[in-house]
This record gives sequence, structure tokens and C-alpha cells, in this order.
Amino acid sequence: MNEAAVSVPRAELPSVRFRRRVVTALIASGSVIASLVYMKADPLALFRDFHYVANLLGEMLPPNIALLWHKPSLWTSLLETISMAFLATLGGAAIALVMALFGAANTTPHRGLRLLVRSLLAAERCTPNFAVLLVLLIAVGIGPFAAMLSLLIGSLGMFGKLFADAIEQVDPGPLDAIAASGASRLQIIRYGVLPQVAPSIVANVFYAFDVNLRAAVALGIFGGGGIGFELNVARSLLRYKDMLACLILVVIMITVMERVADFFRRQIFSREGVLN
Amino acid sequence: MTRAVERSFAVRWRDFSLGRYRRHLRRLTLLAALVVLAAWRAEVNMHDLITGLGRGLSMVGLFLPPKWDAFPEMIEPAFVTVLIAATATPIGALCSILFGLAASRNIAPAWLRAATRTAIALERGIPEIVILLILVAAFGIGPFSGVVALVIGSIGMLGKLVGDAIEEIDPRTVESVACTGASRAQIIRYAMLPEVLPSLLANSMFRFEVNIRASVLLGAVGAGGIGYELSTAMSQVEYNKAATAALVSFALVMAAERASDHLRSKVLSRGQLA
Repeated sequence: MNEAAVSVPRAELPSVRFRRRVVTALIASGSVIASLVYMKADPLALFRDFHYVANLLGEMLPPNIALLWHKPSLWTSLLETISMAFLATLGGAAIALVMALFGAANTTPHRGLRLLVRSLLAAERCTPNFAVLLVLLIAVGIGPFAAMLSLLIGSLGMFGKLFADAIEQVDPGPLDAIAASGASRLQIIRYGVLPQVAPSIVANVFYAFDVNLRAAVALGIFGGGGIGFELNVARSLLRYKDMLACLILVVIMITVMERVADFFRRQIFSREGVLN
Repeated sequence: MTRAVERSFAVRWRDFSLGRYRRHLRRLTLLAALVVLAAWRAEVNMHDLITGLGRGLSMVGLFLPPKWDAFPEMIEPAFVTVLIAATATPIGALCSILFGLAASRNIAPAWLRAATRTAIALERGIPEIVILLILVAAFGIGPFSGVVALVIGSIGMLGKLVGDAIEEIDPRTVESVACTGASRAQIIRYAMLPEVLPSLLANSMFRFEVNIRASVLLGAVGAGGIGYELSTAMSQVEYNKAATAALVSFALVMAAERASDHLRSKVLSRGQLA
């Protein structure tokens, strides 16, 4: 009788819920610790070997700011990195838009083509950026051009999927209206599809520029030129003061470019009809 | 009649002329100038591209077929790559709760918030690979340096999200918990964590995917794992072996993407994992 009065599902009892939480926490922390042990990692080393970090910081400080005017090539390599990201974003967006038109169900000329483009894009998204770079470095030669191309190829996968999804979600009403006026397929795309997807395309382009700028620094380290290359050279020559100067330059560049991109984004979105 | 034809022709011609885009002219010129400048700086070279394409295509032949018997020796590195990401993500998520609390105005004092926000913003400005290079210089090569680099990277992203989410909590929720005489820790436990945990969980899933990609990349500069195998095979001109490593990392990233998508939709629809 009493049992009926307090019939709470057993799984909802506070004690059971507590026990379940404890077990989950134990399993999670246990597996993290197990993997740390497997990697022969010693978190205590972070504290015990902290003097290495302190030594390193001592060697890095003060940053060799004088490098900024003693070595003008630093500024050109900075421009190189920004150029790589800029071109890769723009070119990637242009090519991806064409691919997306083939990869979206409502604009593709053939269903088989859609499947092919979609699987190509999916495959591209799974290929690590630097694997593409390693191949391109041999094909095109060491330098910013190879890094730019691999960034461009890297942007295709993400751009293509996002654009194709955006195109598939457009309102079919205007498309039908334009088709009823006797417009060709290209005209439907130009006047029906593009105006609807333009805002999302522009937003994605700005986001991708942000991502590509960081990636451009990283690819420089693998021989892609630009500021990442300078940074890696300074590191491998153990010139840590120069390295810190490069690092500061990278942080400033990324922050400034974020602001610049924000400015242009606001310019574009604040004006009505700019996107048509 | 000729005039009528002419006129209709002119109208049609104007339809296709670029004159309609005249109002965009200034912007387009600016863009074109930027592209040219960037192309010059990035040493864009169509000749290299065309000869490179041929060379690249002939290189694809060098990669084929992948060296299948190298597959067993790739399993352990692949495991390490996954392990680096799988260890770094939960640690990063836990740390990001602490950083997020310290970065939100409704729980942390102003000086702490300012300091944490600056640290997170600075961290987001530095690519993970550069963090790894510094860590490698301090702690030496190994997966643990990779884990620490990814934890720092995860804090940069998740910490900001958690901090923003906590600041957006309705103050009435916090007040009503405080009214019951709750301590600061109890306010955090009963008013803040329940609000941010689901989104933190979903974002951690996404971050795991990012971490897998980054872990492949970090491997190439000394964190070990499949990225290391790939870059050594490339530098030792063992292209068939490199193809195997590339295939394995391809599979890893694809599996991570699928798993993260699946878990994320589960978390977002039900608010919890299990």
C-alpha cells in the first residue's frame, strides 16, 4: 500500500541517479587516465619540468622587436600569408559555387551528377589539408603558391557542402515564377537561386577567410611560405627571441584581419540590395 | 521599321551589357586590384600550375597502389592519433567550464573576467600548431605535447562559448537560487551548469572532430601518430606507404565526422548523451 503511494520509477530515484552519475564519471576519468598512461604521459611533468618552460620563456623574452625593421622581408611574408588566405577563399568560393549548383537537387542537370559531386566534396572534407600540401609541394614547388592551392582545395569541401545545402533550401516559389516567364535554366539560377543564397554565401566566405588565415600560418610551417615559414625557421635555428617577435606579429595580424573582415561584412550587409 | 529593329536590338544588347552592373564597378575594381596584388604576393604562376598538374597526375601513379602490407603498422599510430584527440577533448571541456566561469560577468569579479577574456582571445589568435611547436621546444616530442596543445586550443574555443552562454543566463534563475541561501558553488551547480551543459556537450562533440583533424596535422610536427607516419613516408619517398597512411587518416576523419554528427544530433534533441 505504501509502495503505491510513492511509486517513483526506479531509474528516477535520487540514489540511483547519483550512482549512475558516479559510475559515468569514474568510467570517463578512468579512460582518460588510462590513455594518458598508455601514451606514457605524466601530467605531473607539467609542473616538475616547468623550469623548461621558464627557461624557454627566459630565452624568448624580450621579443626581438627590432627584427620588424631590420628584416623587411617579415612584412612581405606577412602579406604573403594574407594573400594566400584571401585568394584561396575567393577562388574556393567561386569553384565551390559551381560545384554546389551541380550538387544541389533542385539545380543539378542530372541526379547521378549530384551524387558524384556530393561524394567528391565529402571525400575532400576528410582529406587532411597538409596531405594535399605535401603532394602539391612536389607538384608545384615549395612556396606560397602550393599552400594557396591546398587551402583552396581545402575550402572546396566545406564551401561546396554548405552552398549546396543552402541552394536546396531556397524557396521554390520565385523559381517557378521565373520559369513560367520562359526563362532558361541559367536565368532561373541567376535571378531565382543566386539572390536567395547570396547572404549565406557571403557570410560563409567571411567565416572561411578567418579559418583559412589561421591555416595559412600552419601550412607555412610545412614549407608553404609566409609568416609561418619565418616562424619555423626562427624556431629551428633556436632564435627564440625572433620566434616570439613572429608570434606577436601573427597574433596582431589575425586580430587586425578579423576587424577588417568585420568592417567589410557590415558594409555589405548594411546596404539593402547590394547582394542582388 | 529599321529603326524599330535597331531599337529592339539596342534594348536587347543593353540587357546583356555589363553596364547594368555599373553601380558595382568601384567595388569590383577594388576586388580585382586586391586579387592581382594577392596573386603577385602569393607567387601565383599559371605556368607552374599547368606543368604541376601534369607532374601531379603522374605522381598519383607513384602513390598507387597503396602498400597494403604496411597497414598493420599503421594501426598503432592511428590509435595514438585518436587517443590524443579523445584525451584532449574531455580535459579541454572540463577546463573550459572553469575558464568559462572565470570569463563571465555574473559570477567572476571584473578583473578576473578581463584577464580570462584577454587570455582566451590571445590564445585564439595563435594556431594550434604554433602552440605545439612551443610545447615541443619545452617538453620534447611526444603525444603528450599534442594533448596539451589541443587542450589549450579547445579551451580557446569552448571557454569562450561557455563564458558567453553563462553571461546569457536569465538573472532571475540565478537570483531565485541565491534566494534559497545558496552559496556561490551551489549557484554555479544548480543555476549555471544545467543551463550550459547541453550546449557544451554538443560543442565538445564538434570540437572532437576538429581535434581529430588537428591531431593528424600535429602528428607531422612531432606529436606522433598517423600524421607522423604520413610525413616520414613522404620525406623518405615511400609514396605507396604514404598512400596507406593517407587512406587511414582519411578513414579516421570520416569516422570522427560521422560519430560527431550522430552524437551531436542526439545531444541536441535530448539534452544528454545516453
